[in-house]
Amino acid sequence: MTKSLHAEFHADDATQITAKVLLNEQIARETFRLRIECPKIAHAILPGQFVMIRLSNHDDPLIGRPLALYETVVETKEAGPAIEVVYLVKGKFTSRLAELTQDQFVDVWGPLGNGFLPEPTDHLVMVAGGIGYTPFLALAQEYLNHKQYGKPLRNVSKSQKVTLCYGARSAEYFAGIKAFNHLGVDLHLSTDDGTRGHHGLVTDLLQNVLRETSLPHRIVCCGPEPMMKAVAEIAQEREISCQVSLETPMACGIGICFTCVTKVQEDGGGWDYKRTCVEGPVFDAPQIVW
Amino acid sequence: MNARPNSVDLSVQLGRLQLPNPILVASGTFGYAREMEHIVDLSRLGGVIPKTITREPRQGNSPWRTVETTGGLLNSIGLDNDGLDAFVEHHLPYLADMPCPLIVSVAGRTHDEFVSMVTILEKFSGIDAIELNVSCPNVSHGIDFASDAEMCGRLISDIRHACSFPILAKLTPNVTNISKIAEAAAAAGADAICVINTLLGMVVNWRMRRPMLGNGMGGLSGPAIKPVALRCVYQVAKAVDIPVVGIGGIASIDDAMEFFVAGATAVQIGTANYYDPTVSVKIVEALPDALQEVGAKKMQEVVGSLRLEGSLGDARDSSATMLADG
Ligand SMILES: Cc1cc2nc3c(=O)[nH]c(=O)nc-3n(C[C@H](O)[C@H](O)[C@H](O)COP(=O)(O)OP(=O)(O)OC[C@H]3O[C@@H](n4cnc5c(N)ncnc54)[C@H](O)[C@@H]3O)c2cc1C
Ligand SMILES: Cc1cc2nc3c(=O)[nH]c(=O)nc-3n(C[C@H](O)[C@H](O)[C@H](O)COP(=O)(O)O)c2cc1C
Repeated sequence: MTKSLHAEFHADDATQITAKVLLNEQIARETFRLRIECPKIAHAILPGQFVMIRLSNHDDPLIGRPLALYETVVETKEAGPAIEVVYLVKGKFTSRLAELTQDQFVDVWGPLGNGFLPEPTDHLVMVAGGIGYTPFLALAQEYLNHKQYGKPLRNVSKSQKVTLCYGARSAEYFAGIKAFNHLGVDLHLSTDDGTRGHHGLVTDLLQNVLRETSLPHRIVCCGPEPMMKAVAEIAQEREISCQVSLETPMACGIGICFTCVTKVQEDGGGWDYKRTCVEGPVFDAPQIVW
Repeated sequence: MNARPNSVDLSVQLGRLQLPNPILVASGTFGYAREMEHIVDLSRLGGVIPKTITREPRQGNSPWRTVETTGGLLNSIGLDNDGLDAFVEHHLPYLADMPCPLIVSVAGRTHDEFVSMVTILEKFSGIDAIELNVSCPNVSHGIDFASDAEMCGRLISDIRHACSFPILAKLTPNVTNISKIAEAAAAAGADAICVINTLLGMVVNWRMRRPMLGNGMGGLSGPAIKPVALRCVYQVAKAVDIPVVGIGGIASIDDAMEFFVAGATAVQIGTANYYDPTVSVKIVEALPDALQEVGAKKMQEVVGSLRLEGSLGDARDSSATMLADG
């Protein structure tokens, strides 16, 4: 068996701080938006990157959780530069996080992971399943040249069009719709129960969008694995560049524990386990062994 | 702060290995150090032990590889690594250049493989010591050297003859009598005994009727295992004349001090690196004050200073007040 080497990646800009909660509000069913003051991270972080968050001075849950960048917030009179994450209340960590109030603290380290590459495209098609929509507001801002991210600020050539195909269990789980509309993102919604938008799969929306637009596309995708797999297959059939952002469970987020491995195709054939936190979370879809 | 931290001597000696301070980072919990170089000032550490290497590449176990437990973490990574050749080519140049000591952790499937790995490593410079991982619970087929005193002793003795590295033997707590194994390792020429590796454990989902880990069972680490680790350090330190390195659930200066007092000459930080990446440096920074608090000027003055006459519950003398003030 030949095996390629593990990543040489290092989280170049990562810092660890105890950050003050500036805002923690419910924005949809079981869905909250958390804003924390962390100037260094806010300046450096890119769309598709994530941070690890942990409740300060609490050992239960013990391990931090990765949360994707939702948005950065520039300095205000009250607080320094901040980042926002959006989370779905699911288990041990997120249910406690939802109880935090303003001026309490979390431990945070980041920015982590590779994020989305700023490859130019005429038409950026973002495909989101449930809470997997979180990385896409910042990405849409970049591709519509509304905002720049990173240190130094990175340039992304403006897309003619940015589309979001967004599927949720039910209407009340949709979050951030206003923000996407406000940005001018072409929005297509689907629900499992038919309470809003197309009654069916988000991949149906994607097929329609690809049929109806003649611009060259690039697809980015984040959500449950079966959905990402289906999107990857559609992209492959149509020979469209496609990147997926994986949500593999992690323990450290920084490359030292080898928990978050995913099967990645090797150049010479075969596959190897790669750490999602340092080689991802964004991968070229054809690289993934589903 | 009234005390001058640099009036305290933090250096320690593990047999032939000298360390600038007693705070190390444990194998498998600090990657290959490079991942951490931007978040941790490596020059502050007593030493780094990169993830255990094997002779051949190992893909490791299938996910899930870790699962959180109450106060702990259960893992079955399965020694995922690229093998010795890739290690020396790819990671060693960086590691050998780090501004702190490097202790390379190795695991062989057989006696001869262990010896040959160490022999190969000896050709490279920049390695300050070898840690023998004779205790990984996640590798089937491998012989569990640390559960058989005689086999463990023979292995260490042969490695001692085959190389000039200081040798640290990392033992498993998953045995009936850890002191016996430690005695054999010490008699065979180990420079220090490291205890403990993880405790074999299991987590299941009863609704699915499935274990949570891909590998079924795994090794428990983190704060949950600290009392067990402390007990092992205490027992081993009593049983052998060589230094003991304490590992298990250390996440704060208080944790570290408990291990020193119980008999550890140095400690390794493991799981805490995952949930508090800068924890190791925080402990290094807090150490001088902690030593001065008990009037110690060097590490030797606290190592093994545990007093057994009377428990804290009985203690009414002034020496207990520092602990009893809560
Ligand atoms: C790069 C990245 C970005 C992410 N971004 C977001 C985001 O923006 N918003 C968001 O809400 N979430 C995000 N997540 C997921 C998030 O990290 C948490 O997993 C999620 O919030 C649940 O945490 P919890 O403690 O509440 O749930 P948990 O108590 O951890 O349980 C949640 C579920 O996971 C299962 N589970 C428990 N242990 C394991 C294990 N070892 N392996 C696999 N599954 C396990 C449980 O059975 C349960 O169904 C992201 C994950 C990654 C990797
Ligand atoms: C995910 C994980 C991977 C580990 N990998 C190794 C390893 O490769 N080699 C080794 O000797 N110990 C390994 N260990 C054990 C630790 O080095 C340490 O002995 C143990 O976790 C107890 O310390 P802690 O409670 O501080 O984590 C690993 C532990 C964890 C949690």
